[in-house]
Amino acid sequence: MFANTLFLLSAALTVGGAFAVLWSKNLMHACIYLLASFFGVAGLYAVIGADFLAATQMVVYAGGVVILMLFSVMLTGGSSEKINRFGLEKIPAMGNKKTLFAAGFASFVAALIVLKILAQFIKHYDATPMTANLPTVERIGVVLATDHILAFEISSVLLLGALIGAAVISRPRREKND
Amino acid sequence: MISLGSYLAISFALFICGVAVMIARKNIIAILLGIELILNSAALNFVAYTKFVNNNIDGHIMSLFIIVIAACEAAVGLGIVIRFFQLRESVHVDDAAQLQN
Repeated sequence: MFANTLFLLSAALTVGGAFAVLWSKNLMHACIYLLASFFGVAGLYAVIGADFLAATQMVVYAGGVVILMLFSVMLTGGSSEKINRFGLEKIPAMGNKKTLFAAGFASFVAALIVLKILAQFIKHYDATPMTANLPTVERIGVVLATDHILAFEISSVLLLGALIGAAVISRPRREKND
Repeated sequence: MISLGSYLAISFALFICGVAVMIARKNIIAILLGIELILNSAALNFVAYTKFVNNNIDGHIMSLFIIVIAACEAAVGLGIVIRFFQLRESVHVDDAAQLQN
């Protein structure tokens, strides 16, 4: 009963947040709706027993990614003139009805094609009955340090590279003397 | 109610919203929001399949790596956006056309 209620709430939050990101006209509001959608996905993880993954989702996405998005929205907000040299607005609107309709139709068609290709894999699976939810933190730690140790180390190198790369790219350029 | 089909349907809705956001928006940051939605739908699929089909822990590991890669992608992508704004004073996708001419 409790799991069903949590599942319904999380599903409504996830899908509603995603559609609100699609329909919102304000980029700030879209970031907040994206936060709601991420919380819904964390709830969906928690319903099927992925407790560590739910906590990670909340910490990384709600604490990291969305805050980063909000900061970059604020940093790219102001510009002195409205129109650039191509005649485009510097802070563009969030799309109009025509682009939204075209994008929705195109993504729906693409998703139906993908579903048609994957249909035989979706139909023929052996669904095991739902088992009890055991805590997963210890098992994840053991598997991550034994079977997937190479991917773990490579992801640490990837994080270091992303950190240095982002710092180098977004650094203010020094005035050259030439 | 809690079944593989419902999880796949939610993931399908997330994926459609992500692709539509990526196509419809003219703002580079909004396109990054769409990419985050798509990565979330993929991670949700991994966790749902590993719970309802083979019932081990490997899908959780894959989702963890997807979250790590999404965090890296957001950091580097937003760095590029801020650098582009310093150069062009714009976040319009149609402004990023230096390589065309």
